[in-house]
Amino acid sequence: MTGTQDHPQDILPLLADTPAPLARIGERTVSRAAFLADVQALAARLPQARAAFNLCQDRYHFAVAFAAILLRRQINLLPPNRGRTTLAEIAGQYPDAPALVDGPDAEIAIPVLRVSACGEAGESAEPIPTIPSDQTAILAFSSGSTGTPTVHARSWGALHAVTHQALECFGLQDGAGPTLVGTVPPQHMYGLESTILYALLGHATLLSQRPFYPEDVRAALAACAPAVLVTTPFHLNACLRAGLEWPQPERILCATAPLDPETAGAAERVFGCRLDEIYGCTEAGAIATRRTTRESDWTTYPGVEIHAKDDGIVQVQGPQHPAAVPLPDHIEARDAHHFRMEGRLADQLNIAGKRASLADLNRRLNAIPGVLDGVFIPPEPSTDARGVTRLAALVVAPGRSEAEIQATLAECLDPLFLPRPLVHVDHLPRSATGKLPRQVLLDLLARHGECA
Amino acid sequence: MASQTTFEQEVAQLIVDSLNLEDVAAEEIEPEDALFREGLGLDSIDALELALAISRAYGVQIRSDDENNRQIFQSLRALSAHIEANRAAS
Repeated sequence: MTGTQDHPQDILPLLADTPAPLARIGERTVSRAAFLADVQALAARLPQARAAFNLCQDRYHFAVAFAAILLRRQINLLPPNRGRTTLAEIAGQYPDAPALVDGPDAEIAIPVLRVSACGEAGESAEPIPTIPSDQTAILAFSSGSTGTPTVHARSWGALHAVTHQALECFGLQDGAGPTLVGTVPPQHMYGLESTILYALLGHATLLSQRPFYPEDVRAALAACAPAVLVTTPFHLNACLRAGLEWPQPERILCATAPLDPETAGAAERVFGCRLDEIYGCTEAGAIATRRTTRESDWTTYPGVEIHAKDDGIVQVQGPQHPAAVPLPDHIEARDAHHFRMEGRLADQLNIAGKRASLADLNRRLNAIPGVLDGVFIPPEPSTDARGVTRLAALVVAPGRSEAEIQATLAECLDPLFLPRPLVHVDHLPRSATGKLPRQVLLDLLARHGECA
Repeated sequence: MASQTTFEQEVAQLIVDSLNLEDVAAEEIEPEDALFREGLGLDSIDALELALAISRAYGVQIRSDDENNRQIFQSLRALSAHIEANRAAS
C-alpha cells in the first residue's frame, strides 16, 4: 500500500495513511492494508444498485460495509431503527437496495448480503482508493413533525470535513493512536462520526465489539489502553452507578444528550481523565464541543459558525454544510462560535439519547387500524435520576388489545419509544379546540395508576 | 398460577422494583416466560438497569460476551439460575 499524496479538491482518500491499525478484533489488530483487502472483496460482491442498507452491528463489519458501499459509488442507508415498517418505508425509495447484515436479522423483508469479514483475507497492495468528494456517502433519517421521515444526505467531502474538525479538537491527528471503545451503534450519526470515521480518517483504531454492560466497558478499556471511551450520558451514568474499579482511558467523549456538570465531574474523577462533550444532531452532524467541568457554553468546531434568525431558530454552517442547517434545539447564540443550549424545541423528545418527534409518534399511533384516538405523554424531565423515564400513552381503541398496539408500534419505532404504560380510555379529554392539556392527561394517567 | 421457587420470587421482586413495573405483580411473572420483547416486553435499557440491580444485590456482573447472554435473560428461571450459579462460584 503506497502513501497518499495531496489530492485535488474533488477527490478524497477513503483512509488516512497512518501506522495505527484500523481495527481491533478481540486480541488481534487489523492493519489498514488488511482492512482494504476485506473492503475490496465485499465491494466485488455488492449487486448493482444505487444504495445499500448498512445494518451491521459489529463495528468492523459496519466499517467494511461502509467502505465497500462507497467504493462502489453507492449510498449507505442508515435507518433510525430496524422495525419492519421503517425499513419498508425507506426501501420504497430504494427498491434495489440490499441489506448488509451480520446478525440474526432473519425477519428483514429485503434481500440480505451477509458480512463476515475479519481482517484475515490478506493485505491489499494497492494504493489507498479515493472517493469523489461530492458523492453522497450516507443517508440518515430523522422523524420530523410533518410525518414522513426527513432524509439527511452527507457527501464524502462533508464527512471528511467534520471528521478532521473533530480530530483536531480531540488530538487524534497524531499521538498515541488510541483505540475507540464505543457504546453507541455505528448507524447513529454520533457513532458513525466518533467510532468509524475517526478510525478511517484519523490516527485511531476502532474496537469491533460494542460493550454494553458496565463490566463489558471495563473489560474493553482494560484490554485496549490507550483508549478513548465514546459514550452517552445514559451509559456513563450506568458505569458510574456500577461502582467498579475503572482502568484509566485517555479521554471520554460523550454525546446524544446534555450531561450535567456534576456527572461530568464524577466521571473525570472516577475515570481519571478529561471528558469532552460533543453537540450534534442528525440534521447537522457534530458541530461543537465543551469541557463540561470547566464551561457551560459550547464552542463550535474550527470553521463552523452559528447565527440566530429573527424567529428564534439558530442555524449552523460549516464547510460540511452546503446550506445553513436549522438546529432542532432551543439555543442562545453568544457569538458566531459560542452558544448555550437551553433545551429542546417543543416537539422533540430525547429518551436515553435517542431523539424523536412527538408529532410523528402521535401520527404513528393514530395510524394503527382500530385506534380511534390516541396520544403519547412525554415524561417529566428526568425526575428519576436512577434510571430512564419512559413515554406513556392513552388510546381509545375498543377492539385492539395492548399487545396488538405495542406490536404494531414496534415495527416502526425504536423500542425506547414504546409507551409504558399504554392505557385504554373511553375518550380523550380534548378541549373545545381539540387540544389535550398536559395536566389533564397526567391526571387521567394517575387515575389509571390508582385503579390498577 | 406461576410456581416460583423462593429464590425466583426474590429475583422477580428485584425485576419489578428496579424497573418500576407498576402494573406487574412479582408473583405473577411466569418462571418460563420470556422477559424481553414478548412476555414482559423489556428492552435493552431494562437489561442494563437490571444488570446494575443484580450486581448491587448479588455481586454478579452481567457481561455481553457471556456465551449464553441471550439465555441468561431468557426467563426468570434462567436469570435466577445464572445468578445463583455465579454467586456460589465467587
